[in-house]
Amino acid sequence: MRRILLSIMLLGSIFSWSSAQENFPKNGVKDDRPDIYVFTNATIYIDYQTKLEKATLVVSNGKVKAVGKSASIPKGAVVTDLSGKTIYPAWVEPYGNYGLPNIPKRPNGNGRPQFDSKRKGPYGWNDNILADYKAVSAFSVRRKDAESLKKNGFGAVNSIMENGLVRGTSVLTSLANLSDNLVIIKGEATANFSFQNAATAQQYPNSIMGRVALIRQTYYDAKWYQSPANDLQANLSLEAFNQIKNMPAIFEVGNKQDALLADKIGDEFGVQYILKGAGDEYQWIEAIKKTGASYIIPLNFPKAYDVEDPYAALSVSYDQMKHWELAPGNAKSMADAGVIFAFTADGLKNKGDYLKHIRKTIAHGLSETDALKAMTYNPAKLLKAQTQVGSLKNGMLANFVITSGNVFEESTILHETWVQGTKTIMSDMNALDFSGNYRLNIEGKTLQLAITGKPGSQKAKISLNDSTVYKGKSNIAGENLTISFKEGENATNSIRMTGWKSGNGFSGDAQKPNGEWIKWKASFLSKVDKKEKSSKNTEIEKVNTKGSVIYPFVAFGSKEKLKQETVLFKNATVWTNEADGVLMNTDVLVVDGKINKIGKNLSAKNAKEIDATGKYLTSGIIDEHSHAALSGVNEGSHAITAEVRMYDAVDSEDIDIYRQLAGGVTVAQLLHGSANPVGGQSALVKFKWGVTPDEMKIKGADGFIKFALGENVKQSNWGDNNTIRFPQTRMGVEQVFVDAFTKAVEYDAAWKKYNGLSARAKQTTTAPRRDLQLEALAEIVNKKRFISCHSYVQSEINMLMKVAESFNFNVNTFTHILEGYKVADKMAKHGAGGSTFADWWAYKYEVKDAIPYNANLMAQAGVTVAINSDDGEMARRLNQEAAKSVKYGNMSESEAWKMVTLNPAKLLHLDDRMGSIKKGKDGDLVLWSDNPLSIYARAEKTMVDGIIYFDIDRDLQLRDEMRQDKARIINLMRGDKKAGKPTQKPSPKYKHNYHCEDLLLYNVEVSDK
Amino acid sequence: MKNILLTLFILIHCFKVSAQVPEPAKPQSGSILLNGATAHLGDGTVIANSLISFVDGKLKMVADAETAKIDFSQFDQVIELKGKHVYPGLILPNTTLGLVDVNAVRATRDFQEVGGVNPNVRSLIAYNTDSELIATLRYNGILLAQATPTGGTVSGTSSIMMLDGWNWEDAAYVIDDGIHLNWPVQKLGARWWLGESEGRINPNYKANIGIIDQLFKDAFAYNKQSNPSNKNIKLGAMKQVVNGNASLFIHVNNRGGIIKSIQWAKKAGIKKVVLVGARDAYYAMDFIKENDVAVLLDEVHRLPNRTDEDFDLPYRLPGILHKNGILVGLTYPSLQSSRNLPFFAGTVSAYGLDKEEALKLVTSSTAKILGISDRTGTLKVGLDANLVVSEGDLLDMRTNQLTHAFIQGKALNLEGKQQALYKRFKAKYEGN
Repeated sequence: MRRILLSIMLLGSIFSWSSAQENFPKNGVKDDRPDIYVFTNATIYIDYQTKLEKATLVVSNGKVKAVGKSASIPKGAVVTDLSGKTIYPAWVEPYGNYGLPNIPKRPNGNGRPQFDSKRKGPYGWNDNILADYKAVSAFSVRRKDAESLKKNGFGAVNSIMENGLVRGTSVLTSLANLSDNLVIIKGEATANFSFQNAATAQQYPNSIMGRVALIRQTYYDAKWYQSPANDLQANLSLEAFNQIKNMPAIFEVGNKQDALLADKIGDEFGVQYILKGAGDEYQWIEAIKKTGASYIIPLNFPKAYDVEDPYAALSVSYDQMKHWELAPGNAKSMADAGVIFAFTADGLKNKGDYLKHIRKTIAHGLSETDALKAMTYNPAKLLKAQTQVGSLKNGMLANFVITSGNVFEESTILHETWVQGTKTIMSDMNALDFSGNYRLNIEGKTLQLAITGKPGSQKAKISLNDSTVYKGKSNIAGENLTISFKEGENATNSIRMTGWKSGNGFSGDAQKPNGEWIKWKASFLSKVDKKEKSSKNTEIEKVNTKGSVIYPFVAFGSKEKLKQETVLFKNATVWTNEADGVLMNTDVLVVDGKINKIGKNLSAKNAKEIDATGKYLTSGIIDEHSHAALSGVNEGSHAITAEVRMYDAVDSEDIDIYRQLAGGVTVAQLLHGSANPVGGQSALVKFKWGVTPDEMKIKGADGFIKFALGENVKQSNWGDNNTIRFPQTRMGVEQVFVDAFTKAVEYDAAWKKYNGLSARAKQTTTAPRRDLQLEALAEIVNKKRFISCHSYVQSEINMLMKVAESFNFNVNTFTHILEGYKVADKMAKHGAGGSTFADWWAYKYEVKDAIPYNANLMAQAGVTVAINSDDGEMARRLNQEAAKSVKYGNMSESEAWKMVTLNPAKLLHLDDRMGSIKKGKDGDLVLWSDNPLSIYARAEKTMVDGIIYFDIDRDLQLRDEMRQDKARIINLMRGDKKAGKPTQKPSPKYKHNYHCEDLLLYNVEVSDK
Repeated sequence: MKNILLTLFILIHCFKVSAQVPEPAKPQSGSILLNGATAHLGDGTVIANSLISFVDGKLKMVADAETAKIDFSQFDQVIELKGKHVYPGLILPNTTLGLVDVNAVRATRDFQEVGGVNPNVRSLIAYNTDSELIATLRYNGILLAQATPTGGTVSGTSSIMMLDGWNWEDAAYVIDDGIHLNWPVQKLGARWWLGESEGRINPNYKANIGIIDQLFKDAFAYNKQSNPSNKNIKLGAMKQVVNGNASLFIHVNNRGGIIKSIQWAKKAGIKKVVLVGARDAYYAMDFIKENDVAVLLDEVHRLPNRTDEDFDLPYRLPGILHKNGILVGLTYPSLQSSRNLPFFAGTVSAYGLDKEEALKLVTSSTAKILGISDRTGTLKVGLDANLVVSEGDLLDMRTNQLTHAFIQGKALNLEGKQQALYKRFKAKYEGN
């Protein structure tokens, strides 16, 4: 309510312009001016699509009073004839920080972890939720900043404090040089969100999954806060959140994957965010469109890389090259897809690049109308301010730009920007055009004088003849010319001339180096030839070479998304993992992504036949413990983070997906790390190459969750600062679980009770608070979510089984489980599986007794055993890791093979669909060159759901194509460099290869080797 | 019969040691003949049916049983190895074996000294013959290891150790074989945990190059004096390297560093230079070859350096270099997996190199690089009897199954604590 009042007040203040500040005492006499300006004979864009010729614009008290061909000129108006000039609505910046204080810096802290909020006052528990922040209360007019924005054509800015996951509200302000009270267009324009932490040393959240979880929980808590269930707590953060949650909301994201993620959060709460994107939307335009969101897109196109040194250029990856080439086409591709978008100058170091880069997007095919719309109408509309800014209609703010012509032409000059009836002059529109060649007569000598540049900012040069140009300085101001030059290379001092327009030339005086005064005269000879600017040409050249998007947008992507086919493998040695064992000379048919037939001499219509003679066909490798294809692994802040979901961190463009396909991996459980006793919920994915994270997800799979024990969770190796989080001993670890499940059982009971009520009873009963963490824990107790527990030492393995049993559920899988062999009988009895390393050990104390016979011994005791990777490289050779159990302990080859296929499928409850070659199971197959357990075996084809994502021959072809395409782009980049455009040095992008031992943020040693 | 006795002896012995490291072997007492194994000599040749004998720790005969006629009774022990394979013992260069047991436990870390320049620090004297890791490496065929300090600019002096012995004096194969230099990087790694995706310029790059250059200039000058009046143990420790009797191992990975470090070493007058790491060697192949520098490639089982690189480049690289005439050995920087050395060679073979050639990368080529090819690395008469016997192909984990191993003719007790634990729990579950 107060917000509405404020808005009305502010609107009112603009209405009564001249007496706007009548309630403020004034030092001096009243000085209200008529403030009426009329612009005649102009080409006027009253909005992005309506252009009037020879029209009149009447501005009064900072607002548009009339606009049109027949607008009458009020008395007392200052009239300007704008013949030949064009008026545009001033640009609206939807994502700026004008007038706001600097973003605070993240405090260093004292090295000790900070768990609680450091804000004073009745705020929420997490300092990343700054819903109560109101940019308007920190706003003040900053003339210098306003000038620099206005010089580039901006009239209004939505200013956002870029601090926190929830950033409170922005303020929409004009850039007029008026008092703070008079420039506010909307005191609270948008609610703002991001995936970037606030300037706080508070630990939670420190991962993308944690950030998503915290935002989601905040929505739920805000709802609870309003309900009678909360009868005690005062919480300004939640109160503010409830106030802003229905405003237009902008969610800032760092890339296209996060855009989809943010949109998904919105879907959960019935909010459609405006997404402030990263400029890579064109790479996934279909999915981007599907979000239904409007976008604010940046124009910070990457500079060309300096690729002169071919080896240094190796550091520029294919996706960086392609993005450089295609980024300016982003807007065009959004327009084609029908996505509503607005441009932002955010991310541009030089705001002058805003218009320059928009011109680039036009060279890449964006229509001028769409461009103008994205600069004016769309941002205004997104901010729900389209009746105030972004167009020039009666009653709207008089925010406009006067230009010398079509603003998208390179030669066009921006003359003036008017904001609320106050003007900023960039280039005198009455400036005379002196450009041309002149004959200069001075002291009896005849020299050449050439004047070039746009009127208002022209320069003069003096030369002896066409080849000898004198060094000097010049200045043309109004009708006066000042110029100094050195006569020849050896001259030490300059002749300094100053003169005035005289006829169609200049005359004036000059002082020679020796102090003598002389006269000079310059007479007009001819016009200067205009040279076509080279910069535009390179852009068009780029467009003409027709680089295309690839899927995924990274090395080894394809121009076309790969499609499902009917495939028939002929004459293979088939390792079925079923009762049939190994079938010789057998055919396998895959139709619609499923195994359709297994037999001899099969044939099928339209099948792609693959001669598998002499080769081995198996089901795909399933990695029970993987951290590939993730953009974050540990939410290692709190001891329990059951609320975080690894699905929120899936990176479907991780090159390791392709590399692991080349090792025969088709399915993986992407696990949370092991930094805390209860980690996050697993993502069960198929390794599909060239799809979105959602498309990798295995539909209908059971929910899993990571638990961890031992040194990592008690922070044994985290350094001396990390000794205060509970637990620090194995004794404490057990209590964390007991406590968690005790609370989960109570939580579950409360909900069950509530859900059991009749609809009528529910109306009068308050629902319990929804707690994402307890919900996940309750799922475990209810046997709807299953544990994969990182574990090493026998005591702790035993402990967790006992805790689980006391809550009447089972531990599904112990992963790593290097001492599983010591308690394998107990595991078998409990019903827990073991997913272990083949032979890793010796890296920390708790793996001292790890032995490579572990898998054999556990299997012997009746445990379902899998071999996992936990490593992006080892995952490529899981077949070999399985073979190590043949070496250590003589496991049979068929049982060894199951440890990386059928057994992990069992542990992941996917064995009814995957893990063996059986009619009806998923078409996840690998064709091997040799016995798949042999080190000499290479995966030649890897198929997931009937699509061959890796093919050893196509791989060679892709290498070749990529090499050629890179060469093409390198030539284009060199073109940019030649044209004098700025370049950047190649700098390899580092992508971390996650392990579960990675403990984000702390005590990580750097190796320089 | 003697064979059976030996096996029995080992078995009994093994049960007795239980969770202890295996007892060092006794010196070879009589002559031994290995009969009928397929011998992979390490120099590219294979003898399908071989006769190999050794006396007093030296190989006395390596012959083809199809052609050689010998009297079996002259040997004190004949071991029948029909169907089995015999190989030179594998050599693991550039390892912290013996210098650390559990990396996360500071008390067991003895491989990195403080201070940037430590040529005088010697791995030899810290090498722990009782490390539990040693037996696990031998179990897969590794018999020699170059125990190497790490870190800093000059990490220290390495020594080549036999993986059997009562103490470091006993186990030393070559004392102080070389000095290890970490060539400075121009760019430091990205601190990913801070969200960095790009590295930073190393502010000390130039200064560190200057330190290295000055160190070697000083070392050359110092060691020219026959009896320096002002003793400097750091410079003194570099004598063998500046004299060309020991190698300078330059640890460097990026192409620029590979080229610059070799150019520097040549200019500095260092005679024996070996590159260690050299992950970018693919892009500096001709340069390396032209300068005749050997390469110890680390970690065949790694991911490509760059997103765009062929997925199998790390697997193919050693073979590519080898085929180009560059002397290549394989190494592994981290201890937790170095027992898989034979499988590195197997992978190299799977990705393009002939098996016997791939074997060289863990035997004869490494021996040449370490300057011990006159003593070991191949099965050749006169060399040390360092050899291993496997049930099948040593380079494939599916068939790598050691039955015998000899260092200087001493029959090793292959089974260690891991085997003892296996047996203990196997018996427990069988008893159930």
